[in-house]
Amino acid sequence: MSVLPWRTRAALVLQREVGRFSSILWIFPIVFILRVLMRYRVKNVAELRKRHRALMKENDGPVLICANHLTMIDSVILAWALGGSWWYVFHYRRMPWNLPEYNNFASIWLSRLAAWVTKCIPIVRGGAREQVSGVIKRVQHLLSRGDTALIFAEGGRSRTGRVQADSPAHGMGRILNAVEGCKALCVYLRGDRQLTWSTVPARGDTFYVDFEFFQPESLHRGMRRSRDLAQQIVARLARMEEEYFAGRE
Amino acid sequence: MTREEIFAKVVEIVRPFVKNQEALDSVDENTNILQDLKVNSARLVDIILDFEDAFNIEVEDEDADAVNTVGDAVGLIAAKVPS
Repeated sequence: MSVLPWRTRAALVLQREVGRFSSILWIFPIVFILRVLMRYRVKNVAELRKRHRALMKENDGPVLICANHLTMIDSVILAWALGGSWWYVFHYRRMPWNLPEYNNFASIWLSRLAAWVTKCIPIVRGGAREQVSGVIKRVQHLLSRGDTALIFAEGGRSRTGRVQADSPAHGMGRILNAVEGCKALCVYLRGDRQLTWSTVPARGDTFYVDFEFFQPESLHRGMRRSRDLAQQIVARLARMEEEYFAGRE
Repeated sequence: MTREEIFAKVVEIVRPFVKNQEALDSVDENTNILQDLKVNSARLVDIILDFEDAFNIEVEDEDADAVNTVGDAVGLIAAKVPS
């Protein structure tokens, strides 16, 4: 894993610490919007958070959350589902770094500032290789320091509404390949009224969330290993989706 | 293996992924794989894995970051193929 220039490392420390000290100012309003204004609910949320906290306590190392992707606010809902507001305030490194699409979340200065404070590193999907690679290297660095990050396993929102097992995000495998001891937390998230992909979930929707800890292994090396790891993650998410639909029948 | 031979083989490997076939007719080492040939960025990984198979080499993710043009790909392969 390549070492980041000190300026980049310092910028990440500054971003994290500003976010940490202002966390009360933004975590609670976001949760208010989700719970009160949008009236979202998460099934079995208390049990889910208890399981998640226990898992994080047992595994102190780097965690890459690998999730399916159907709406533009999945990362927010997912973080809210896995941990309560105060838990994140006191366990700030477990608030996942997020990689939103630059054109959706960071194209104007106000949204760029909001993204910066809320632990986002915008990425231009399908953009210049240097930019994409730079973002991935920053995430690798953060994870190697024991932080948590979130990446969508298919790269973008699924256009079919189902996990697309044939299109794993290579960056996900690349991060797991480069960060020693990094585990993947596969998370499947879906609103009961979510039939296909959309901008935001329907108001009043109730979310099913399930997760599994997973450390993929591969006999390959180099880029092929990254691809293999990414394929294993997305295959696992596809299986979790099958279980979700089987449970609904 | 000469650079010209590698170039010819690279073009053949890239061909099925190219959306702009006209650009492929005038391809040279300066042709950008994503911008000129309109290859989907997600497919670039498949292309590089095909290079691995075709030339019996191993490519690291960081090596692949430097592949923007056909010439970059040829240079990467030339550096790894035993002379």
